[in-house]
Amino acid sequence: MLRMLLRRCFLGAVTVAIVSAIIFLGVELLPGDACTAFLERDAKGQMLENCRKDFGLDRPALTRYFEWAGNALQGDLGMSASGRKSIAELVGHRMKNSLLLAAVSLSVGVPMAIFLGVITGLWRDRPIDLFFSTVAILAMTIPEFVSATVLILIFSVWLGWLPGIIVTSASAPASEFFPEILLPVFVLAMVMMAHILRMVRSSVIEVMAGDYIQMATLKGVPYWRIVFSHALPNALLPAINVVALTIAWLLGGVVVIEVVFNYPGLGRMMIDAISDRDLPVVQAIALIVASVYVGVNLTADILTMVANPRLRTLNMRGG
Amino acid sequence: MNYLLKAVSLGAVMAAGLATAEPSGTFRQAHDYGFGEKSSLDPSSPGRIQWITEKIMNRLVSPDLAGIPEADLATEWSANAEATEWTFKLREGVTFHDGSTLDAADVIYTFERILDPDGTSPARSALKMIESVSMVDDMTVKMSLNTPFADMPLQLMDYRMRIIPDGSGDMIGETGIGTGPFKVEKYEADGTTVLVANLDYYKGAPKLARMEIIAISEGQARIQAFLGGQTDMYRYVTAQERVLLDRSDKYNVQVIPTGNWRGLVFRTDVEPFTDARVRKAVRLAADRQEIVDLVYGGGAVVACDTPVEPNDQYRADLKCPQDIEQAKALLAEAGYPDGIDVDVHVSTLEPSWSNLAVVYQEQAAKAGIRVNVVQAPSDGYWNAIWMNKTVSATRWNERPADQALHEIYLSSARWNESFYKDEGFDTLLATARRELDFGKRKALYAKAQAHLLETAGTLIPIHVTKIVGVNARVKNVDAVKREAIRWHLIEVD
Repeated sequence: MLRMLLRRCFLGAVTVAIVSAIIFLGVELLPGDACTAFLERDAKGQMLENCRKDFGLDRPALTRYFEWAGNALQGDLGMSASGRKSIAELVGHRMKNSLLLAAVSLSVGVPMAIFLGVITGLWRDRPIDLFFSTVAILAMTIPEFVSATVLILIFSVWLGWLPGIIVTSASAPASEFFPEILLPVFVLAMVMMAHILRMVRSSVIEVMAGDYIQMATLKGVPYWRIVFSHALPNALLPAINVVALTIAWLLGGVVVIEVVFNYPGLGRMMIDAISDRDLPVVQAIALIVASVYVGVNLTADILTMVANPRLRTLNMRGG
Repeated sequence: MNYLLKAVSLGAVMAAGLATAEPSGTFRQAHDYGFGEKSSLDPSSPGRIQWITEKIMNRLVSPDLAGIPEADLATEWSANAEATEWTFKLREGVTFHDGSTLDAADVIYTFERILDPDGTSPARSALKMIESVSMVDDMTVKMSLNTPFADMPLQLMDYRMRIIPDGSGDMIGETGIGTGPFKVEKYEADGTTVLVANLDYYKGAPKLARMEIIAISEGQARIQAFLGGQTDMYRYVTAQERVLLDRSDKYNVQVIPTGNWRGLVFRTDVEPFTDARVRKAVRLAADRQEIVDLVYGGGAVVACDTPVEPNDQYRADLKCPQDIEQAKALLAEAGYPDGIDVDVHVSTLEPSWSNLAVVYQEQAAKAGIRVNVVQAPSDGYWNAIWMNKTVSATRWNERPADQALHEIYLSSARWNESFYKDEGFDTLLATARRELDFGKRKALYAKAQAHLLETAGTLIPIHVTKIVGVNARVKNVDAVKREAIRWHLIEVD
């Protein structure tokens, strides 16, 4: 168990390292750099050279990469390309905001999704199931930016009930993000619920058809006791992984949503940094997002193993 | 009882009357955070956020509602007979937001900082004619020029030449201390910057108590914020969006002609455009009115290859209808009886470029000019495409006539995008700069523009008209360019 855990952690670290290298390479390959983006028409001759020197862009890419990676390992993410602010400080608020968005969306979305998933699973093919399953498919297939724009149009422009765009400062306390945060939460919860609902539904259907449920029914155990003490604990197990994936997706900066709603989280910061060619910031965020993604998935895997002895032994043999 | 009610309501009315005398209400506006991390409150830096600097700082000379130079921090000015020395008298009793009083030292500091060869100010190129700035007395400064320049006040209206306190250069990017109607309470480039009324503003206290300038980098989000009433003004309404605004009584629409132009540049140093006849032919092939209608939905004014804006006092009165026959004849004369093939480079950097190129493609085909539209990446466009490829799309923001002609067409100009070299044209500009008589000067600039229409390598079919959306709760927004808006007069309900 311990060996496997270590192995998983090691693989996670390798993944993060590879991701960081790929991101670095990708940004390097783009035409233009921090200086051409900044100077625009002025990006010529001496002015361009001076700027590149100031930003340290005249050194070889490999040198810059390893220097940065080394510092990042020690927890020093460096300064933003303009050299004015420490990235840790910049990222701090954004991280908090992304966490806030994720937390609110999850606390609304996950319980609702599981509840509806169980309902639709138990009442399979009844009108209520058909209704929610269809809505779920719609929610999954409509791109987020479309549903976001439509919701802004309805609730903000036409009805004027909710603010459509977030205009609160990144550094503001969490409470100030209400009610602005509601529309993005709504959009996120919708997409997220669709995925989890479908997962839970099929899992409930599968479990309810299992031998031990039939056995319990034959023994005369009341229906609701079967559901609560036999079916659900088993049916919800696979949901852990979907929820984990969702958490990773949310914390990874839901870029599109953050940009559409102007939400000051990691995703929007990433986009701003990319158009700025602010390499240090892009790399730092990529690293954080990759670590979060790997970390959350790792946690989910371990939880699933702890909860399910069969998986544990299977993996032991394999590893 | 009745009397009591009346007394109470009278009191309320009086209180309300008093309250309106005080600055009140908040005006919100979005900016695109286009300079990202390099954003700054330093008015002359490459990262200046003009959306903020225009409200917190003043210039020596600013445009009046018609765009003519008007006294601002300078109350009067005069030139010597050769127009090589300009003297500016400063306004008495103007204070900066930090309490210090404006004097000649501040003005000299501001200009020397812009002119510093080691500095990064892009405004320097507009002030190249200044040799030195010196103090005559506490409230008078003198600018000595290295060339005669009759329109110096016009040049000083540039939006970047805002006066900052002496010695404040290291901090100005964060503090934004100026003399303007609003002062910075909290500066946050990527969030919401809060400005509050400067009660000591020399033109009188602003009507608004507060302004919030909000960073919204996504274009779609900016318009949504305006439509949802979260911001009060949106200055980039497209022709399509205008329809939406016109139908609603929640917004007012202002239509403002500008000097911003879009066009196509044919490099005059590359075959076949080394021949002035070919250059004229490619420009004659354009049907400009059709471009106005098809590409800009009517939101533009025809230009005859002159960068000088439609309302500028120096704009030449030119005609430039499409003439396919003459274009063909010129091409044949230049040795291209079968027409020419042209790769026109555009990118999504400017949304209208692609449409402009496609409409031009159709028009030019009739004259035997076979246009192939090439989509280039937006990233690095100014670096790798513009002034590199033989034919590329261009766009410029408005400039005073003299500046536009000098910066883009003079043989030695750094941004001579078409590599246009014409001694006759250079001489015309030099003569115009020297001429202190307005009528004669105007005639010379008109001649220069007519010369461009004959020989230039740049097709400038239009000047863009700006459509501005203003929330109906906002009053007294001058329907003019940003440059000239009197921000202190704006009120909100």
